[in-house]
Amino acid sequence: MASLAFRDVEKSFGSVKVIHGIGFDIADGEFTVLVGPSGCGKSTLLRMLAGLEEISGGTIAIDGTVVNEVESKDRDIAMVFQSYALYPHMTVADNMGFSLKLRKADPKLTAERVAHAAKILNLGPYLERFPRELSGGQRQRVAMGRAIVRDPKVFLFDEPLSNLDAKLRVAMRAEIKALHQRLKTTTVYVTHDQVEAMTMADKIVVMQDGRIEQIGSPLELYDRPANLFVAQFIGSPAMNVIPGTLRRDGGAAWIEAEGGTRWPLPASAPGRDGQAVVYGVRPGDLSLGGGAGAVPAEVIVVEPTGAETELLVQAGAAQVIVVMHGRTDVQPGQKIALAVALESVHLFDPAGGATMRG
Amino acid sequence: MSRRWTRKAIVNEATLVLIGIPVFLWTMIPVYHLFLFSISSKDSATSGRLWPKEPTLQNFDFVFHQKHFYLDHFWLQLWNSVLIAGAVGVITLFVATTAAFAISRLKVRGGRTVMNLALFTYFIPAAFLAVPMYKTMGLYGLLNSQWALILAMVTIASPYCIWVLKQASDKLPWELDEAARIDGASPLQLFRLVYLPLMVPSLVAVGTYALLLAWNEYLYAFLLLSNDRSVTLSVALGNFLSADDSPWELLMATGLIYALPPAAIYYAFKRYMVGGLTAGAVKS
Repeated sequence: MASLAFRDVEKSFGSVKVIHGIGFDIADGEFTVLVGPSGCGKSTLLRMLAGLEEISGGTIAIDGTVVNEVESKDRDIAMVFQSYALYPHMTVADNMGFSLKLRKADPKLTAERVAHAAKILNLGPYLERFPRELSGGQRQRVAMGRAIVRDPKVFLFDEPLSNLDAKLRVAMRAEIKALHQRLKTTTVYVTHDQVEAMTMADKIVVMQDGRIEQIGSPLELYDRPANLFVAQFIGSPAMNVIPGTLRRDGGAAWIEAEGGTRWPLPASAPGRDGQAVVYGVRPGDLSLGGGAGAVPAEVIVVEPTGAETELLVQAGAAQVIVVMHGRTDVQPGQKIALAVALESVHLFDPAGGATMRG
Repeated sequence: MSRRWTRKAIVNEATLVLIGIPVFLWTMIPVYHLFLFSISSKDSATSGRLWPKEPTLQNFDFVFHQKHFYLDHFWLQLWNSVLIAGAVGVITLFVATTAAFAISRLKVRGGRTVMNLALFTYFIPAAFLAVPMYKTMGLYGLLNSQWALILAMVTIASPYCIWVLKQASDKLPWELDEAARIDGASPLQLFRLVYLPLMVPSLVAVGTYALLLAWNEYLYAFLLLSNDRSVTLSVALGNFLSADDSPWELLMATGLIYALPPAAIYYAFKRYMVGGLTAGAVKS
């Protein structure tokens, strides 16, 4: 169990700077997810924490101790790799007990710890097998078992689920979360999948181009994205964004988008008349229905998924996605009107993408 | 088997047979010749028959009981060959494995230069180096010591072995090293507990190569060793030809015996030549 502190952390590969002074804290026992598109530096940051990459600038501290110069093996961390990285010539039990063997632990204690981890992960029947004889999900569990046996201060996960098929990924996601709730070990988890981030994290750190875009709880990021990047990255399907011009007339406010479509705004919305803005609305905050301020649109594609129905519609020059609960009988080509949940509308500054606040 | 004999299949098959038959004959005729001589009596050896009238094992009796002037030290010379080939195999393996590990996994400085130098040695045929090697061994006072031949063969075998092992090492997943480092392994533990077990197929292949290279070596053995009691069997075989009427049937019988260990080694380690031990390490 440990807290983590990143202070002005920088990383350069030769003359290329990939991480530009990152600073944040992770509390003891917290499940933190680093998320961002590939190449954003999230894996590099994790590897610096693991001691697999040198820290070019700034400090990383585990439990108040700066570990910049501390070797991986002395940082008391355990890491689960995307490729599992199981030792192919060792049985499952030997794989899990390897770190204790290196520490010259009592073989009896090792066997106990391995058996305990195997029980948590339902690996009991497979202890004498070799990695090549296991399925992908089982191998992933062995990799986690190897981490559990260590009883480390911090668990590190580097995209652990991206090699699994979709169904297994969902199951393992829940398993990792349950494991964390049980062990309460500080965990840092790297993924490019925002759904994983949303479902698992206590705290999400959204990164792009070696910088932090926003830190917050999953729902904070969803409800109050700091900028356009976070708004579009978090949430599935992604937020609809429509560039336009802010208009005010008396108590009313709206966005005039390309093609003359009017998107409604609450009167309390920030910004002045004539200002260029980006209008953002999540697919779930749009619905079919008339009324004042409804936006005319034409259905292009209907995608039923059972519980929900996704519509791709053309509204003026913009194509937007609408997610409806339940089913609908609208047909492609049909003219509809979109009602907007005004309280959930976001406005962004087109220059820089920062969220405009009233 | 319900194989369909399409035109294409027939052409393919015919091509294979057309290539295969000459290759087979090219390889087997000398071996058969060797065998034929070794089971013929002295008089009938050169008769030109495809099978001797009275096959005999007498030649082997001569060889095993050292009943000929040329065979006085047969067992000792065979032992020399075994010893030297074994030593060359072991020492080359040690040199090449540690070099490949340091260059490929520990990424030591100057590794690239070492690899380039190793490659460069192949621009110069080993025969060109025979005289300089002779002088060098003379300088170290090793002439006529079996160490001279062992060191020379290690020198010749190592560059190739380093290359092969470096390539094989590069294919091991990098994450294994990282996982081991996090698990607490020192470089030496990484080498012993993770690297070596995974390299076994390549090690066997490379060790066999070095061993057979030394086993088959004639020129350097001839040059660096001159005492009848220290030479290898390959040199002793060459000495058969120093007489006017060489005992061909004994030469061939000894040659056949000398050719058996390499064949046995190939057969025994065949399965190691094909990898597959790393299956299941990482998702590929």
